[in-house]
Amino acid sequence: MTEEAAKLIGKGLATVSMFGSGIGEGYLIGKALEAMGRNPEMAGTIFTRMLIGVALAESTALYAFALFFLI
Amino acid sequence: MNFFSVQRDIPGIDPVFLFHIGGFPIAASTVMIFLIIVLFVVFAVIVRRSFRIKPTRFQVLIEYLYQGMIDMLDEVTNDKKRSAIIFPIIGSIFMYLLVANLLGLVPGLSELMFDGKQIFQTPTGDFNTTFGLALGAIIVINIISIKEWGILSFLGKFFKVKEVIQAFKKSVGEGAISLVDLFVGMLDIVGEIAKVISLSIRLFANMYAGQILMIILMGAFAYILPGVWYGMNIFVGALQAMVFAVLVAAYYMLAIKPDADTEEQTQE
Repeated sequence: MTEEAAKLIGKGLATVSMFGSGIGEGYLIGKALEAMGRNPEMAGTIFTRMLIGVALAESTALYAFALFFLI
Repeated sequence: MNFFSVQRDIPGIDPVFLFHIGGFPIAASTVMIFLIIVLFVVFAVIVRRSFRIKPTRFQVLIEYLYQGMIDMLDEVTNDKKRSAIIFPIIGSIFMYLLVANLLGLVPGLSELMFDGKQIFQTPTGDFNTTFGLALGAIIVINIISIKEWGILSFLGKFFKVKEVIQAFKKSVGEGAISLVDLFVGMLDIVGEIAKVISLSIRLFANMYAGQILMIILMGAFAYILPGVWYGMNIFVGALQAMVFAVLVAAYYMLAIKPDADTEEQTQE
């Protein structure tokens, strides 16, 4: 196996982590919508906190993205 | 050359050095940082000059922004006095990152070339900037923590020698369990370093990913599609500035003595 092929396999493996980030974000947004449905007057605060959470969850995928270009 | 696409090279992760001043390399992102500093100084002078008791429209906008930042901070700290102590740091980090993230999106600014290289590069798209900021923020927070706890109990948080001795005095079994606590306490040192790395890589990766995806989209189809991503970039830039500031505030809350009623653990 050449070095180039190994690099391409590594890049492919790095993208797998986006799977976890997707699950996390979906779970987070789903739970936030549930909370908003239960308690509509809190929707504003829940929404801002959800956005912060989504940004945190997304960063996992972005670590992989940075790694993708580093390889 | 395709009519529908604009081909451009994908920038590397290394900083682009423009020129040297006395053997000290000046990167494209550094030039942008100085531009931001100049903008801030001019802005501060204008705001200071134009303040009246009867507010103008401009002043109302500035006061609204200021109040918004304080409200956001109050939500994290739950304490007006704590907010007042930490606000100068959090507020300036937030404002700086907001401008730094969004200024790179100003059309035309990235087209200015010097020696075939971009003069202005988004500072947060360079890992050195974000790492420096995160390291500085965590060091400041640890200094505040030392001031609050005193040097001995600050070290005691990491090396739980006192608890181990107390537990061994009670019984040998409890002492053996407290050795685990000692180890966990030492792991907190790694935690502090991990905070710096996670803070800096999060911001850097977000901004870098934005730039790269923009170039890829421009290469695929140069109309309409990049516009959508442009809007997304504005949103992500503002959001990441907020996330960075809120996280630093949350780390500050973890570092100080907990109040009786605030038991909010905001950790990632």
